[in-house]
Amino acid sequence: MLLSRPNILRSLGRTVAPCRSLHNTAWLWCFRSAVSLDKIYPESDLDLTKPQQIPKTKGHNFSGYVPMDKVQVTYSRSSGPGGQNVNKINTKVDLRFHLASAEWLSPELKEKLATKHKTSITSDGFLVIRSDKTRSQQLNLAEAMDKLRHLIYTAAFVPPPPAVEDIERARRSHC
Amino acid sequence: MASQGTEKALALLRRLPRVSLGNLKPNPGAVKSARRGRGIYGGKTHGAGSKGSGQRQNFMRLGFETGNTPFYLRFPYQNYYKGHHMRLSYAPLCMGKLQRMIDTSRLRTDVPVDITQLSATQLFSINPMEKMGGIMLKDEGIDHFQATLNLEVQWATEAVIASVERNGGTITVAYYDPISLQAALNPMAFFKRGVAIPRRMLPPQNLIDYYSDPKNRGYLADPTEVARERFVLAQKYGYELPDIRSSPNQEMLLERKDPRQIFYGLQPGWVVNLEDKVILKPTDPELLEHYAS
Repeated sequence: MLLSRPNILRSLGRTVAPCRSLHNTAWLWCFRSAVSLDKIYPESDLDLTKPQQIPKTKGHNFSGYVPMDKVQVTYSRSSGPGGQNVNKINTKVDLRFHLASAEWLSPELKEKLATKHKTSITSDGFLVIRSDKTRSQQLNLAEAMDKLRHLIYTAAFVPPPPAVEDIERARRSHC
Repeated sequence: MASQGTEKALALLRRLPRVSLGNLKPNPGAVKSARRGRGIYGGKTHGAGSKGSGQRQNFMRLGFETGNTPFYLRFPYQNYYKGHHMRLSYAPLCMGKLQRMIDTSRLRTDVPVDITQLSATQLFSINPMEKMGGIMLKDEGIDHFQATLNLEVQWATEAVIASVERNGGTITVAYYDPISLQAALNPMAFFKRGVAIPRRMLPPQNLIDYYSDPKNRGYLADPTEVARERFVLAQKYGYELPDIRSSPNQEMLLERKDPRQIFYGLQPGWVVNLEDKVILKPTDPELLEHYAS
C-alpha cells in the first residue's frame, strides 16, 4: 500500500516538511526555509532538466539553432608561435557540414549561402569554418560556431526596401 | 574525570545566585578614576606629568609628528583601493587542477562537490575573516576537464560553466556569509563547539544580482530559466547538452541545498553531538519558526 503524504507525516511525526524535489520524480525529505526556491518562484516547476523547444528555421529567418549531430567537428594543431603547447595540443577547430543536404537550413538560406559565401564551400559542397584564435579547443569551437551563425545571418539579411523619401530624393537628384 | 578546579567551579555555579547587575563588580585596578589627582599622593603634578604640551593642557592633535609630514598625509588617495573593505576575494581553482584532484582520488565525485568537500582536500587556505568569499573556478585547463560533477562554488565564468555542463554535470554558484563559510570550511571543528547550526545569510546588495542570474547558474535563480540557459550555452559553445534525466547519477546531480542551509542533510537549528553521535533538534515552535525563516 502506498503511503500518501499526510499519512507519512502522521506516522513519523517529523518536524521537517516534505518537499518536491527539483526533478519532481520522488518525494525527498529536505529542508525548506522562507527563502527556498519554491517560495521565491511559486509559479515555476523548478525543473532544471526541462526539455527545451528547438526553435524552427523558416524561410529567411534563421533561428540560430545549429544541431551539433549534423555538423562534423575535427581538431588539429594550430599554427603560429607557442612552443610545446602549440606543437602538442589540438586547439584548431574545423567545423564542416554538407550544405545541400542540411535539413536544418531552409532552401532559401542554402541558396543564399551558396551564392554569398561560396569561398567557404569546398568542391564537394561542404561549408567549412576554421578557428585557431585562442589557446583553448572549447573557446575555438565557440568562435567557429559564432562565425557559422554570422555567415548564415549575413547571407539571410534582406535589406529593407528604400523609403519613399529616399526614392523621391534620388529621382530629384537625377533630374 | 574533571579536575578539582573544574569541580569547584561547577559547585560554585550550583550554589551561587543568578548573575545580575546587582552582584557584579570589576576587578581591583580594572577601572581607573577619571578625576584629576588631588591631595597627598595625587599632588604636585596632579596626574599631568612634567612640562610639555601634556602638563600645559595644549595637546598635540592625533597623528601630529612634531612638524614633519605625518604618515596619514604622506600618501595621496588612490582610486584602486576605494571600497576594498567591502569587496570579497576568492581562492582560485582552475579546471585542470580540479581534474587532477579527481584523478588522484583527492576529491570524491560520487557526492555533490561543494566548499566543504573542496576544503577537505586541504589544498586551499580560505580565511573568511580576511574577506574571502570561498572558491572561484577559472578557465585554465577547461579542455582537460572530463568529470561529471555536481559542483557548488562561489564564482564561475561562462567557459567553466560550459565545460562542466558539456560533461553531463551541473554547476551552481552560491553565497556563504563569513560565519556560515567558517562552519562549512571545517564542519568537525564547528560541531565540536556545540553551537546550533546557523541559517546561511542571503548575499549583500552588490552580489544579489549575480546570484539570482540564471546565466551565472546562481543558487537563487529559477531552475526553469537555468534549464533554458543551459540549452543556450550548449548552442553557443557547440556541444550537445547531455540529458541528466537518463544519467545514472541523476539524483546526485540534482541535489541542491536550500538557500538557508550550510550542510547537505543538516538543517539550521540542529546541534550535532559528535561524542554521543546524536543530533539534537529544537522542538520549541518559536525556535522552529526562527530557523525556518
